[in-house]
Amino acid sequence: MEFDWAPEDARHRDEIRAFLAEVLPADWEEISKHGPGSDTQAAFSKTFCARMAERGWLTQHWPAAYGGRDASAWRHAVVGEEMWAIGEPRGAQYMNVNWIGPAIMRFGSEEQKAFHLPRISRGEVLWCQGFSEPEAGSDLVALRTLALREGDEYVVNGSKIWTSYVDNAEFIFLLVRTDPESKRHKGVSVLLCPVDTPGVEVREIPSVVGARYFHEVFFSDARVPVSALLGPEGEGWNVVNYALQYERVGAARYARAARTLDRLAELARERGMLDDPTWVEKLAEARGVCEAARVLTYKVIDERAKGRPPSADTQLARVAGTRADSAVANLAVELLGAEALEYGSYADANFRLAMTAGVAVGATEVQLNLIASRFLGLPRD
Amino acid sequence: MDFELDEAQQAILDAVASLLDKHAGPARAIELAGTDAYDHELDAALAESGFTEVADAEGAGPLEAALISEAVAAAGGMVSFPARALVAAGVGAALPPGPVAVCTALPRGLVRFASHAKSLLVLAPGEARLVSLEPGDCAPVRSSFAYPMGQAPGGLAAAGDALGEGSADTLVRWWRLALAVEAVGTMAACLEVTTSYLSQRRQFGRTIGSFQAVQHRLAELAIQIEASRWLVREAAFQGAPAEGVATASAYALAAAGQVFAETHQLSGAIGFTREHDLHVFSMRLQALRIEMGGVAEHRRAVARERWGGGASGRGVGA
Ligand SMILES: Cc1cc2nc3c(=O)[nH]c(=O)nc-3n(C[C@H](O)[C@H](O)[C@H](O)COP(=O)(O)OP(=O)(O)OC[C@H]3O[C@@H](n4cnc5c(N)ncnc54)[C@H](O)[C@@H]3O)c2cc1C
Repeated sequence: MEFDWAPEDARHRDEIRAFLAEVLPADWEEISKHGPGSDTQAAFSKTFCARMAERGWLTQHWPAAYGGRDASAWRHAVVGEEMWAIGEPRGAQYMNVNWIGPAIMRFGSEEQKAFHLPRISRGEVLWCQGFSEPEAGSDLVALRTLALREGDEYVVNGSKIWTSYVDNAEFIFLLVRTDPESKRHKGVSVLLCPVDTPGVEVREIPSVVGARYFHEVFFSDARVPVSALLGPEGEGWNVVNYALQYERVGAARYARAARTLDRLAELARERGMLDDPTWVEKLAEARGVCEAARVLTYKVIDERAKGRPPSADTQLARVAGTRADSAVANLAVELLGAEALEYGSYADANFRLAMTAGVAVGATEVQLNLIASRFLGLPRD
Repeated sequence: MDFELDEAQQAILDAVASLLDKHAGPARAIELAGTDAYDHELDAALAESGFTEVADAEGAGPLEAALISEAVAAAGGMVSFPARALVAAGVGAALPPGPVAVCTALPRGLVRFASHAKSLLVLAPGEARLVSLEPGDCAPVRSSFAYPMGQAPGGLAAAGDALGEGSADTLVRWWRLALAVEAVGTMAACLEVTTSYLSQRRQFGRTIGSFQAVQHRLAELAIQIEASRWLVREAAFQGAPAEGVATASAYALAAAGQVFAETHQLSGAIGFTREHDLHVFSMRLQALRIEMGGVAEHRRAVARERWGGGASGRGVGA
């Protein structure tokens, strides 16, 4: 047991910071305020990720065989922390490199790998995640979108909901049921589906989080070639589990929360609030919550670095991460007071980005259920 | 970075575990509590095995001392091991064998272990001090909060030997760490006792631990305890940096309040009895929470170290 960064990883953090200082535009904060899914951030991500790719950094944690550098999970974590802390200039592409690429590597055909992986590693493609459905939220396996085989094609009918980034995405990592008689985990498959397939219709769901945050995606006799099937037909649940283990702690929420908190402390100082015990206590408390999420996430990264199967530590880290996000976002609003009432203000933008943390990527209560059974070993009866 | 024990650490903790098996545990703690006693046997066993000196040992250091302290606390060991292995070692004070207490130079302070202590590490203004105690120097004071408590003598600000320039800050850092690590072991034991009890206790025809309302509350505690554990271990490894230990102690001792309240609530009436193990650990948490000025003071230290704010607090030794 030891807690030193490897010197090369510490150096890489400095390199990344220098790179960010160089390539992020002066109005980056304004751009990033709208979240990774906004048009501007989606557009920016393509030039930004291409520049990351030029340096070999975008997919450095991938195996060399797929154009990566076999960088360790720790190196990848450094990149994730620095990117999230500054507002994720990779936009939605963090998903590509974190879990979509790796899932294709693990389950894809040679043809799929040859087509998709170079695009992802060059930073020129946007993906989205088509998992949730109106009747399949936390209980994802209740999904009903049907893909029936007809010759060389699947004919897809049904709908996906909450789909982030789909309005700018070229591909959707689509979870479907290929066996209409099947229940639960059996008969589920994954399709790597182009969003511009005829019969696919995207509609925005207006929300209080921000414009173009959520979408519904309707499939009406959308014909997808069988070559888009990822992994064996009916074995999609394995693919999803593999992908999700990488997704769950994919976003270093605590890093952004910690950075925001430092900024709040600065603002508090400017306003003479940093000598007020009330604010001091709140700021320090939030700092603890951010740090708690960081160490719990590191525990998970350590597992991953050693190639261990993911344990319930993943759930501890997930919940802690969402707590960091909301602690800081709430404090921002409290501390900045009436300023937060203005749409687009610092506190408001932060608050809206953080307010979904406990629901997105699997709701907290479900994580707590898993902690109870897998970590504490409590009985189910 | 490596979150798993290496071979040497594993060997140390295995040896500690078998020592604690023999000399500690809730039953032993309950037996000692009746007499307000200090566990001299356990203290001697830890010293004989060389664990007390582990922070300065070849190939080991404060992380190992913290890991042992955590295990001792989790086994309910009634010894001042962390004060010696972390605080005394951290300030480089050479102590005679026997119990150690740590306190501020404030008059009228009630101090954990003081009634038994041979040595008192004192946070005095400017410099830390080491005071040798004779039996009777610190009158025992009865307390609900499990540890033997003693009344610190007056005049501590100038008593004993000064430990050198900068020693006050050093003492504060290691004291915070020792306190937090003790809280971690003790909280983990509270959760463990409660979880196993609720995995067996049945009401309404089912195990209470299977009710989701109960499960979620225990899961919330698990998150806070595990986070405390890793914050403390990291700070120990780093040699107790001021900000790191303040964050760890602020977080862990805030968690301690919640662990106390929740484990008692979820245990029902049995949790208040001397026959059930919970009180061995839970009541200690209250004493730990109050020490060093409490959570508010740890938090002020976080703000001071990280942002240079919060200077107006009353201070640990003020
Ligand atoms: C910002 C954001 C972005 C998203 N992006 C995507 C995306 O790109 N692609 C995608 O597929 N999905 C996406 N989602 C959907 C997300 O995965 C789901 O919202 C999530 O899985 C929860 O499902 P639900 O919203 O239907 O809530 P429900 O499942 O209806 O849950 C409602 C409440 O009930 C609780 N609950 C449910 N089951 C249990 C249980 N067994 N025990 C106790 N409590 C329970 C939940 O914790 C929650 O509090 C996104 C969601 C958000 C908020």
